[in-house]
Amino acid sequence: MSKYDVSELDADELNQAIDDTNFPQSHHVPSSNGNRDDGDEKNIRKPSMPLPMKIQNGILSKSYSDDVFAMPGTPRTPRSITTPGNWHEKCTFHHDLELDHRPSTREDLISDMANSYRMLLSSLGENPNRQGLLKTPERAAKAMLYFTKGYDQSLEEALNGAIFDEDHDEMVMVKDIEMFSMCEHHLVPFYGKVSIGYIPCKKILGLSKLARIVEIFSRRLQVQERLTKQIAVAVTQAVQPSGVAVIIEGVHMCMVMRGVSKTQSKTVTSTMLGVFRDDPKTREEFLNLVHSK
Amino acid sequence: MSEKYQVVNGNKIHENGDREQNDDASLKEMADCYRLILQNVGENPKREGLLKTPERAAKALLFFTKGYHQKISDVINGAIFTENHDEMVIVKDIEFFSMCEHHLVPFFGKVSIGYLPNNKILGLSKLARIVEVFSRRLQVQERMTKEIAEAVDEALKPLGVGIIVSASHMCMVSRGVQKINSKTLTSVMVGEFRTNQKTRDEFFRLARS
Repeated sequence: MSKYDVSELDADELNQAIDDTNFPQSHHVPSSNGNRDDGDEKNIRKPSMPLPMKIQNGILSKSYSDDVFAMPGTPRTPRSITTPGNWHEKCTFHHDLELDHRPSTREDLISDMANSYRMLLSSLGENPNRQGLLKTPERAAKAMLYFTKGYDQSLEEALNGAIFDEDHDEMVMVKDIEMFSMCEHHLVPFYGKVSIGYIPCKKILGLSKLARIVEIFSRRLQVQERLTKQIAVAVTQAVQPSGVAVIIEGVHMCMVMRGVSKTQSKTVTSTMLGVFRDDPKTREEFLNLVHSK
Repeated sequence: MSEKYQVVNGNKIHENGDREQNDDASLKEMADCYRLILQNVGENPKREGLLKTPERAAKALLFFTKGYHQKISDVINGAIFTENHDEMVIVKDIEFFSMCEHHLVPFFGKVSIGYLPNNKILGLSKLARIVEVFSRRLQVQERMTKEIAEAVDEALKPLGVGIIVSASHMCMVSRGVQKINSKTLTSVMVGEFRTNQKTRDEFFRLARS
């Protein structure tokens, strides 16, 4: 049985198929009693504010225990109790009303990250106290947290039950979904377009949910190959189709603005699962539709 | 540390090229900062893909800010020639990559430089090198445009200089208001380009064609 024979994989195998290298449960949350091997971490300053969080902005943050993270797919970054109502307007974390997700309590990490950024600015030889740079550490910390907000999101939340029974067995494709991610090797953005196609097997997915799946996995420290696979397996987990195809065409700033400096270069990766892998005609149809205007 | 710096338009510039000494010490410090940032973001800095990321990211940031250590006189390297040419010289669509000083996120685009020589012309690649010096810093597009104009003006004392910078800001494209197709245009006109409407028109027509 081919590893990618999607129709024969059960839930457990699907969970294993997804590359969880950069899923938060693989990360040991640093604790104050130092029960991780220290090694070269002696020089690292420990976070000044230990988790769990305290009351801030009138929101009581729930303290978490390790049991919560035994379940795969559960983000380990601290969450808060969502308060219903219109308090989000007073949220200091988001500048715009992104009401489609819960604000992250990673807000408390901003001051720590801001300190790191301030040290970075002085190491560069800049003056962190000049007017243009005064609030840059906080802004840069918030920006970095935004670029990694995918760690905080789980598939079930994003899909929000938008799976419908429909007797449609022709290809469904959403193409040219913009994607912005962070290269995990240089912490420099890479961006591009994602095209996803799937052949439903009794169930279809809300179209914007495909874009949301892209968002969850792209807003992490990524490698384009892994991103492609994670999106494909996530769509498979969501609707169990006969086949999924994902193509990503990306521009890597780490290659364009530094290093080898090839400004026109693009990186293309693809993942074909199920019937897209087995049947060349289906794959060809997908590729033709992706490249059509 | 402040004696070594000369502040120009809010950007500190090293007066000497003691870059090597600075970089080794600061590289380790910066790598440690990045390691902490990785932890705060929720990642595991010990996994294979992230093991050397703090060092790589620190080197990348140093590369993106290497303009602080460069002096215009070094970069021009004496490539100023006497030439009896008094028509406009334009080098357009010089791509540049800079870092937004507010979010530490890249912005990139094209610079078009035009000048009216006053018996002195500049080696063409030196215009691109001047762009490099000022773009490889923590910048604001307005300031970068002005600095490039001033540098060309000071080097050549021409009859006029015109700069147009068109850029896409990732801080606006990939976060915040998320407007993918937006571009920011800034321009600086000095001398003839400022006073003479026809010169300016000619420059715009040629540079934007």
